[in-house]
Amino acid sequence: MNHSGTAGVPRGGGLRRGHWVVLGAIALCLVLVGGVLLYLSPVLALLDNHDLSPAKPVATPAATPPPLDSKQRVNILLLGSDNDQKFAQNAVLSQTMIVVSIDPAKRQVTLLSLPRDLWVAIPGHASAKIDLAYAEGGAPLARATVEKVFRIPIHYYAWIGLDGLVKVVDRLGGVDVDVLHPVLDDNYPNDFSDSGYGTERVYLAAGPQHLDGRHTLQYVRSRHGDLLSDFGRSVRQQQVLLAMQQRTAGMDLVTALPSFARDLNGHVKTDLDLVRLTQLMLFMRGLHAGDVHQAFITPFVRDAVSPDGQQILQADWPAVNAYLRRLFGGDLLP
Amino acid sequence: MTRGRATTLVMVMLVMAGCTQNAAPPRDPGKVVLPVKQVDVPGRLYATKGRSLYRFSGSHLTKLLAGIKVKDPAVDASGAQLAFAQLQDQSSTIGICDARGGNLESITPAAGPEGKLWAFAPHYSDDGQRIVYLSDRLKLPSNPQNLRPNDLAVFGQDLGGGAARRLVVPVPYSGGDSDPALRPGANEQLLYTTYLYGGAPLEPVARLTWVSLRTGTRVYLSPDGARNFAPAFSPDGRFVAFVRAGAGSDNLYVMPLAASYSREPRPAPSDAALQLQAGIVSQPVWAPDGSAIAFLMLVNGSFDLFILPVAGTPDGTIHATGPAKAVTHGSFLDADSRLAWSP
Repeated sequence: MNHSGTAGVPRGGGLRRGHWVVLGAIALCLVLVGGVLLYLSPVLALLDNHDLSPAKPVATPAATPPPLDSKQRVNILLLGSDNDQKFAQNAVLSQTMIVVSIDPAKRQVTLLSLPRDLWVAIPGHASAKIDLAYAEGGAPLARATVEKVFRIPIHYYAWIGLDGLVKVVDRLGGVDVDVLHPVLDDNYPNDFSDSGYGTERVYLAAGPQHLDGRHTLQYVRSRHGDLLSDFGRSVRQQQVLLAMQQRTAGMDLVTALPSFARDLNGHVKTDLDLVRLTQLMLFMRGLHAGDVHQAFITPFVRDAVSPDGQQILQADWPAVNAYLRRLFGGDLLP
Repeated sequence: MTRGRATTLVMVMLVMAGCTQNAAPPRDPGKVVLPVKQVDVPGRLYATKGRSLYRFSGSHLTKLLAGIKVKDPAVDASGAQLAFAQLQDQSSTIGICDARGGNLESITPAAGPEGKLWAFAPHYSDDGQRIVYLSDRLKLPSNPQNLRPNDLAVFGQDLGGGAARRLVVPVPYSGGDSDPALRPGANEQLLYTTYLYGGAPLEPVARLTWVSLRTGTRVYLSPDGARNFAPAFSPDGRFVAFVRAGAGSDNLYVMPLAASYSREPRPAPSDAALQLQAGIVSQPVWAPDGSAIAFLMLVNGSFDLFILPVAGTPDGTIHATGPAKAVTHGSFLDADSRLAWSP
């Protein structure tokens, strides 16, 4: 019974309640999708930034990544370069080469450092130091070289420049590192001087401490005061990677990811896609210190001089291959 | 996979992650934060944060030497004189002042014929007449094309006006030595950390090193192939607290010290040391009465100041008599800078 006296409003004269609900739901969806795209736009922009194919075709095809839901090993080639003003931006050497091998089945990660002075056969080029591969052909040639020389399938790559490392460490609020030796360098390259050729004096005390981005870069990059030379630097680079992984362990990725992406845009190149990146970040976050293994081929290399007179490292390849078989088992390329 | 599907999947994964963990990485608050339940500090305990010097005493916290960048504070046995590394633009000097920060003067140069100089880690003899510290004086000129040794060495200087003298020569290209301290009651004995390379293949090593400044005898008190560092004498000079690096840890240990050494002791005294505190520990220092050891320890991403009560036993060992108490909380103190403690 109608007591209001308004019962005579014709039903067909406007939108019915159901229509309003549907319209409201559509509007809500649009707002949500817009919000998601806005939220993820820095990340998508970052992931759009990757090396194009090199001018010279690369003979070895890149390994195909395993499906997302598989428990197969995923290998990522981490590349780092001095890309300050004194270098042409498209011809920088890779001063850091680390294969990050993620084994979901065993819940383990192995960090394998490849010495930059290692004398190898670069596909389509003459033999050279391995760091030249990135300068000559970008990430495609660097990964093809690693695949051909070490038989390690490289599914993805990620390249980071000097500024990128500083920014990511600062975004993490710094890292906690046990500095192995005092770092004392009177001729440290001043990465951020106008010319790129300036030097500055650097001192880092030994022992456990908290490092900001700038000091982290000094720690991984300084060459003076380390008799272990490139090996010492590889050890320090892996230390910092582990410290960064530990620092992200308690992070809220929902809020952190876009901020990281904004910071790193222009300083990182990668062919990782958004889903794989997120999957790996979640996986890495759940790791404990004992789940990450550090590996070096340094015991199987020796100092030598190249035919053109460069100081290089020459590998004992049977020993290197045996070591890699121990690390990767049957996951090496044929 | 299309961008739309990828976006949806990522959102689901992120939301799941966000639901399970929501802690942001800890951030430096930019100030010293004391815990709600404050710990009273006996005597005067000095530490730095952001290169500013702070004094903890009782429940009071005082900032000293405003406008000066300070690292490695030291205090003489009476508590009347402070020494510290004063940081400048790419150099540092050893500064000394009274306990209130007055009468400040530098006792080492910021530059010499060798170029700009570093000076760090001062430490007083127990009579307050002498100081030992680290410096790169006497280094060889070097340039990017010709890198030559510039490692830190231990120097000694009489505060009465004597010239500085290099007491030990560091291993070249090791970064140099660290943590020098003169033994209380036997100021001709020096203890410090030698940085070098050992093992096969070579790896970074840190060894506790004892030197008789009278005879020149030098012995290692910790083994090769390990990293033992940051030695700190007990006030009576009979014990040494130090840090031993392990897999993912830097634990605090204590060991007794013989009256003297004429040859390298075997096994190394550090092998018989007792662990006092597990964790990531740095910069141990004893209370002036020997009843506690203060140190910095990494907890929840921040290096904070802790005090561990200790006592001796009839069999001549030191043990903890209770848990370490946090003097600061989430303060990000400078873990590369020494602590100092006076009455």
